[in-house]
Amino acid sequence: MKIESVVVPLDGTLPALAAVPVANALADTVGATLHLLHVCERPRRQAALLRSLGLSPEEMEGFVLDQRTGRPAQGILRYAGELRHPTVVICTHTGMEKPRGAIGSVAEEVILGAHCPVVLVQPERGLEPWALRRILLPHDGTPATTAAMDPAGDLAELTGAEVLVVYVAAPGEPAPTEPGSFAAPRYLDQPQHEWPAWASEFISRMSALGHPTSEVQLTLLMAAGDPGEQIVRVSREHESDLVVLAWHGSWEPRRAATMKRVIREAHCPVLLVRAARPRRGE
Amino acid sequence: MRGSRPAPATPELEATSRTPVPAAGASSADAAWRLVEEGFDLAREHEIESLFTISNGYIGVRGSLAEGSAFSAPAAFIAGIFGRRPAPDAMPERVAAPDPLRLRIAVEGEELRLDRGKALEHRRVFDLKRGLLWREWRHRTPAGRVTRIRELRLASLADRHLLLQALELEPVNYSGRIEVVAWIERPESAAPHASPLPALRPVPPDPADEGDHTPPRLALRAEGSGAVVAYAVKSELRPADGPGVAPKVETRPGRVAERWTFTARLGSRYRLTRVVAVRTSRDAEEPAEAAAAHLARTGPGDAGRIVREHVEAWRERWRAADVEVDGDPSAQRALRFACHHLIGAANPDDERVSISARLLTGGIYKGHVFWDVEIYMLPFYIHTHPPTARALLMYRYHTLPAAREKARALGWRGALYAWESTDTGEEATPRAVLAPDGVLVPIRNGEQEDHISAAVAYAVWQYWRATGDVRFLLDAGAEILLETARFWASRGEWGEDGRYHIRHVIGPDEYHEDVDDSAYTNLMAQWNLERALEAAGLLRERWPGRWRELERRLGIEPEELRAWDDVAAAMYTGFDPRTGLFEQFRGYHDLEDVDPAEYASGAGPADILLGRERTRRSKVIKQADVVLLLYLLWDRFPPEVREANFRYYEPRCAHGSSLSPSIHALVAARLGDMALAMRYFRQAAEIDLANNMGNAAGGVHAAALGGLWQAAVFGFGGLRFTDGGPELEPRLPPGWRALRFPIQWRGQNYCMDTDEARKGEEAEP
Repeated sequence: MKIESVVVPLDGTLPALAAVPVANALADTVGATLHLLHVCERPRRQAALLRSLGLSPEEMEGFVLDQRTGRPAQGILRYAGELRHPTVVICTHTGMEKPRGAIGSVAEEVILGAHCPVVLVQPERGLEPWALRRILLPHDGTPATTAAMDPAGDLAELTGAEVLVVYVAAPGEPAPTEPGSFAAPRYLDQPQHEWPAWASEFISRMSALGHPTSEVQLTLLMAAGDPGEQIVRVSREHESDLVVLAWHGSWEPRRAATMKRVIREAHCPVLLVRAARPRRGE
Repeated sequence: MRGSRPAPATPELEATSRTPVPAAGASSADAAWRLVEEGFDLAREHEIESLFTISNGYIGVRGSLAEGSAFSAPAAFIAGIFGRRPAPDAMPERVAAPDPLRLRIAVEGEELRLDRGKALEHRRVFDLKRGLLWREWRHRTPAGRVTRIRELRLASLADRHLLLQALELEPVNYSGRIEVVAWIERPESAAPHASPLPALRPVPPDPADEGDHTPPRLALRAEGSGAVVAYAVKSELRPADGPGVAPKVETRPGRVAERWTFTARLGSRYRLTRVVAVRTSRDAEEPAEAAAAHLARTGPGDAGRIVREHVEAWRERWRAADVEVDGDPSAQRALRFACHHLIGAANPDDERVSISARLLTGGIYKGHVFWDVEIYMLPFYIHTHPPTARALLMYRYHTLPAAREKARALGWRGALYAWESTDTGEEATPRAVLAPDGVLVPIRNGEQEDHISAAVAYAVWQYWRATGDVRFLLDAGAEILLETARFWASRGEWGEDGRYHIRHVIGPDEYHEDVDDSAYTNLMAQWNLERALEAAGLLRERWPGRWRELERRLGIEPEELRAWDDVAAAMYTGFDPRTGLFEQFRGYHDLEDVDPAEYASGAGPADILLGRERTRRSKVIKQADVVLLLYLLWDRFPPEVREANFRYYEPRCAHGSSLSPSIHALVAARLGDMALAMRYFRQAAEIDLANNMGNAAGGVHAAALGGLWQAAVFGFGGLRFTDGGPELEPRLPPGWRALRFPIQWRGQNYCMDTDEARKGEEAEP
């Protein structure tokens, strides 16, 4: 995953600033330029804008401050579209509006319209510095989901972070139909042989598809239950700093339930990576 | 209705081409004889390698791309070659020997690989009928050069020490420099195997040996055992119309390579033919010399003959094994896939090895041998190739000392076979596994899954009954029956109820450990005791000399035989005459009733989805247990008992084992529930052949293959054996118009045909 520009939309509220430490550290890690963006109805002078964002000129060192007019989400998307290899880091909601479901309307519109990765930050995390030591990569065993392996691997390689791949076996869920899928073993004839083989095959298969370098340390964890609940639990228990989710683009009610729950409940930022829809099985 | 004699000819094979590289299109035309993989799906490569393994019972070579890929696991597995890692508690493990069919092809410096340039066409065809693996590939390099490649491989069934690889290269739109490297090299790492396998170290050549080292050869020694694997290779590369190109041979410790560099002309074809001989320290004192000597008798010039003899050997095996399904191509193909791999898994000439849970197709299970062989696979061999069945049972005879020692060490008498065994028969079951949910799970199968001894005895009796092989009974079979019976007579204890109880065991349902009075275990033990007594009576009456010798050598007294009779008669069975049900084990009926259908949906094994502890406290069953008992001892149970137990236990089974669906298909078919039978049959067939589960990545499932054959033959075909010979009571699923298969029974070949059986029944008054 190539990142040359990190865009942080700010709306002048304190909660929105929670995205800045994450965006700053991310930009530092990948050597990208950090763009602070304010979208409003009428343009303001830079000094007034700085004040309204609660920032001082000294704090702006190394950043780019820009503003656009119009509807916030559209402005953010247009701005990101003007940059090379952008990633948007945005708070899930800022208090200016009531979050609808898992996520505020601006963030939701950005997710739906973005052609680039989006990092969602919970405003509750405040202005604490952020560092990447452990990445949680939920994986359902389908080749399509392996799209998330690349960014997770790239970030891990740059930071030396450990990647925890979590597979959640969900009672009642059918096995994926995409050819090449590698879900939890339906048959576990002798666990003393099957478990080590399954874990090894899972990691090696997903690595072959996702191309992380051999320096990246991948550890597989398995959980059972509701996927969203389990991903949030594992993320907390293992103190992950980032959850990387592959998203196939569905957002309608009753779709993407896992992603919505993770965004809503994760204690750490969530990186959404667009993935192709799974191929249909024969 | 009785089957007719003699066996029919199998459908005629096409005349075998004299060329060593026939086009894949010339493979068996019937799609039900072929497994075809079009294109290339990197994610599935490990599965494809397993499914397309060429094997002959001595060696199996995974169907890896010769040039490799980002996700290839090339390896060869040789029966009986084990090593042991230098780690505490390390168990013997079958080594992963080098894949000797690896190639690197470069055109003007550009390597031909599926992940570079563009594959304009790529197809792999596994001809199940003739045991040939073809590959057709048209590749365009980034510079635009198009090359057509066709490859053929086989592991000879006629000469199990031989492998053949024939490759044809054709520059389609260029003339240019081509480099071909063929090499054999010890694996640098064990990837992608779950844990490091025992290393293979180069055997240095004898410094005093200044002789000719052609053909090129490589010998490797397995860590921990000293077993040696050796390859020798004879190769020839030549244009279709010109003299051969001499290779440059490169050797270094652990690697031997041949390199050809030549200028190829547009439109010309270039053939590389490699004949590889494989020998090991199990069959030769100097394996490398033996492999080279093997090639003194043959080479690339004999490729046509090697193909013909191999195809003829397969024809012979299929003549006695092919199950024909009229009306269901998918089931037909699954059955041929099963039979093909079963034929390629065993060697009738080697009675010191048995079949691992993943045959010779993959590295997981470390080559260990389980009860699957006797209960799931052996019936196929008994009735299609008795010499193979005999060799597999002789493995159990040769490992009898280890079984005696295991029983003795645990405080019992007689013979308790290892749950997992290797070359010696000693217990090789790991004691614990770290599951991916982070829980260290103790493994108790090696301590408690004692029913394996009854499985071996059961197989011995089935073989004896089917073949009347007196020599086997006298030399080996009777002793196994007696020693396993002796084990059961010591394993249990008399209760205050006057019944004999066997406690602290694990039955086939491994979700419930340390149970008392497993119905399966107890009834199989009872059967084992009865058959041992029957065998003793038979020997005493017909071969008194041999009986006296056995009596003396095994220290059998008449009182002991009477005690066995008492134990068998008093065996606690858990049968409730009011309900007609066997209680799977003591206390089973008191457990929580959980519907496994709510949990086990394909998302994972029930014990993970439900949690191990709750599973243990529930009635959820891992695999056919009492249902398997119904099948194995079918004639002991009245119809209403079979029906009641199947209807009770089937809905409670989560099928967390690949051993389960086929047996449920078989019993459901016998009970006439054809929809359910077919559902299970398809489930069993998909274990390896479905493309969305990845089950086969570590090798194909031997027991499921054997179970599938049994489901067709004994389930849908309703095959039974009476004093008059084999008979059918067919119950075919919807869409199956007829089922035909050959069967061997007491030295006669029978052709069983459900169509004839049905006509016969209709004709009866």
